[in-house]
Amino acid sequence: MSVDVTGVDRDTLVRPIRTVSTRYLAALSVALGMIGVWLFFYLQQLRHGLIVTNLADWGSGGGVPWGLYIGAFIWWVGIAHGGIILSAAVRLLGMDTYQPVARLAELLTIAALTCAGIFILIHVGRPDRLVTSVIPAWPTRVQWSPLMWDVTVITAYFVLTATYLGLTIRYDLHRLRNRLPNRLDPIYDVLLVGYSETEDAVVERMVWWIAFAIIIMAPLLLHGGVIPWLFALLPSMAGWAGGVQGPSFLSIALTSAVSGIIIVAAAFRYAYGWAELIPEAVFRGLGQWLGFFSLLFLWLQLQQVITGIFAAPTTLQHATEVKIATPLYWVAIGVVALAMLYVFAASLRPSLFSLPLLVALSVGVLAGTLIEKVLFVVEGLMHAHFDLYAGVPGAYTPSAVELSALVGTVGIVVLFFLVVSKVIPVVELHAIEDHGEVEG
Amino acid sequence: MSTDDDIDTPPDDEERHRRLLDETDYDTDLGLELARDAQRVTAGELSEAAFYRRYHDRIVEEFEMDDREIDLPDPDALAAGEGGDGGVGDGSGDAGGFLDRLGDALEGFDPDDGESRRSVMKKGAAAGALALGGLGSTGGAGPGDGTAAGAAGSGEEGDGTRWGMTINLNNCDGCLACMVACDQEHNLSRGANWMYVFAFEDENQGEETNFLPRTCQHCTDSPCTKVCPVGARHTREEDGLVLTDYDICIGCRYCEVSCPYGVNYFQWGEPDVPESEIDDDHQIDDRGRWVGSRPPEGVMGKCTFCVDRQDGQMGEEKIGTTACEEACTMDAIHFGDLNDPESPPNRHLREYRESQENDRSDYPNRKEHTVSTFQLLEERGTDPNVTFVGNAPSQDARQVDGPVTYEEMGLTDNRKEVLDQGAEAAGGETA
Repeated sequence: MSVDVTGVDRDTLVRPIRTVSTRYLAALSVALGMIGVWLFFYLQQLRHGLIVTNLADWGSGGGVPWGLYIGAFIWWVGIAHGGIILSAAVRLLGMDTYQPVARLAELLTIAALTCAGIFILIHVGRPDRLVTSVIPAWPTRVQWSPLMWDVTVITAYFVLTATYLGLTIRYDLHRLRNRLPNRLDPIYDVLLVGYSETEDAVVERMVWWIAFAIIIMAPLLLHGGVIPWLFALLPSMAGWAGGVQGPSFLSIALTSAVSGIIIVAAAFRYAYGWAELIPEAVFRGLGQWLGFFSLLFLWLQLQQVITGIFAAPTTLQHATEVKIATPLYWVAIGVVALAMLYVFAASLRPSLFSLPLLVALSVGVLAGTLIEKVLFVVEGLMHAHFDLYAGVPGAYTPSAVELSALVGTVGIVVLFFLVVSKVIPVVELHAIEDHGEVEG
Repeated sequence: MSTDDDIDTPPDDEERHRRLLDETDYDTDLGLELARDAQRVTAGELSEAAFYRRYHDRIVEEFEMDDREIDLPDPDALAAGEGGDGGVGDGSGDAGGFLDRLGDALEGFDPDDGESRRSVMKKGAAAGALALGGLGSTGGAGPGDGTAAGAAGSGEEGDGTRWGMTINLNNCDGCLACMVACDQEHNLSRGANWMYVFAFEDENQGEETNFLPRTCQHCTDSPCTKVCPVGARHTREEDGLVLTDYDICIGCRYCEVSCPYGVNYFQWGEPDVPESEIDDDHQIDDRGRWVGSRPPEGVMGKCTFCVDRQDGQMGEEKIGTTACEEACTMDAIHFGDLNDPESPPNRHLREYRESQENDRSDYPNRKEHTVSTFQLLEERGTDPNVTFVGNAPSQDARQVDGPVTYEEMGLTDNRKEVLDQGAEAAGGETA
């Protein structure tokens, strides 16, 4: 499938930067409101401690020490990793069809990684020590602690993605400068410092290598590695340990990320009349990827359920039985299955395709993957091998404080896109002009 | 076929190792040769003793000391004719032994340790991580998790002190006095039961109610120290205590989810006992680290084996005792140095076995005594330093109400209820 959007002019590209509508301001208010709600609750947590969450100690304590915060952390990291994998794939494999959404995917990665970081910050009991304790311990602890591996690769990854974005933006800003608002000149001056057109060829090679690094790192080390290893390496909890977690996490990351990109791209297309710039074919293609990743997700869930109930060790069997007896788990599986079935049906009969429906299903999939991740963390902890405690399994329902963080981070992502889209073109110039033909 | 060629590091790898070693301050050739010969040791082609001798002088020259831990006589003395080959070792010794120890050494070094040791470590880490890769034991331990705990390993006698317990379940009557004593001595918040006594029924063990007092197991190979991202949870080198540095802990609770025993209790809110009411003697250990008494808010706590007592800060007579042991009137809890054959845990076990002699006059094939012992979740490989006398609860064991309830003793069983009340109170204040 090939899509030609090279007919679109440059003014279309910078449309978001040059307009401010009431709808924009309304969206801005909603985003700020969501962040405000979270800050209100978070202040309570800062004042009273994590006691305001519904977390507790496992064992005689009758609760779970990790809950929604960690589940949401994995979820955001998954969206981030999947986003950049897709963007890097566009570059490496020359999937030009998706070029109009490549930068949106990169921006989603930056925003989602930020949210993941926020969840770590609010999860720990002493956020003030994240710098003072972590940095001095890094050289020795990085050898042993999966959590330290995690912090390390996420930081490396953030740097890679930001570099990648920073390098590719210079090309566009230089050529679109006369269409960009003068009041933002100081920002553009910084972003374009030392730019000359002779760097383009070099940057293109650098970007290729960064994309290459990302595509190697992300599945092997990030959502297929370090993040699942946080759990898969701990034999104490029946539902966590094992080699299936890597592939399973990666499938969830990719499923979530495609959903996220579909939602963001559709929102821009709708808000700025970008039907030409991000044509329906892009969404049909993304939809098919969503269907494929959903299939992987469901297959890996099946693997876990079957191996968990057939003749598993008692605690694993118990953990799996509880999982499949949890209605929410089937909600998660159901929405992903529904999205998959719809997408495949629309592939067979193109007339069935509807963008609003695809967006709605993507929202459902994101809810499903979040539910799956939180259940994974919580259920895993509730079925320890050492289960003599009457308090195990305990009970856990996220508190308002915890749920508000979810609202707040979604608000942060919305705010991020609203602000960034007023400063830089969120669709790259390469999408509408081939590399060779660009002239200032 | 030349075995040397087979086991040599492939040229490409060697080139890479050379580059990495070049970046260190030390002799690259020495590093590469060490790595090559270490592989020969593993392959059984070179004895540990020969390996040790071959490099001793050059290591001393390069690092000022040879820190390879090996139970061999001083090679210098041997060279002077006092020993000879036979005295050093027969070459058929456990080839894995040295590498295990090298692995242990590579796993972490104590920041408090001498500079020279660290120098060897740096070089060792470069050569070892590259060329030995995985030959040494890879199950890591934290900084400070050093040779004392490592040597103490699997219950044999070792150097130094290794605090541990023998808990005789046959003697325990579930009075919960130990829980109360622990709670008071360490100023614990309600429900943070560092010592926790299970009353349980087990269909495989008859009708009666059994008891199991559960402290921290102070594992020699503790998962919690391994996973701690900041080295706050650590094994104290001098005596194997697994402690939490309250000044460093970030409160991520990774130790808690990695521990198979559920012994960790996070300080979710304000502690019940304010810090102003606790002496430094209870809190600061002999290294000057804040590891004793209840944790401050946002930090992880668990049984410390009464570290303040072991450091002599509660008086000389309290060394080698714990609050729970002292409170136990049933002679169930025995605390002491497991490396000392005459310590209370070792003596109790020996005497108890002697008192439960088997009838071997009629049945000569029976073992000497009828005492069974176990460690909690032995199969997890954590190598706990608490041994129980009695029968391990089976997977069908279920916790039941004991003869004395937690409430009667002023204790809280389910901490979640306390936390929920705390959360409500917090919400009420701000609402």
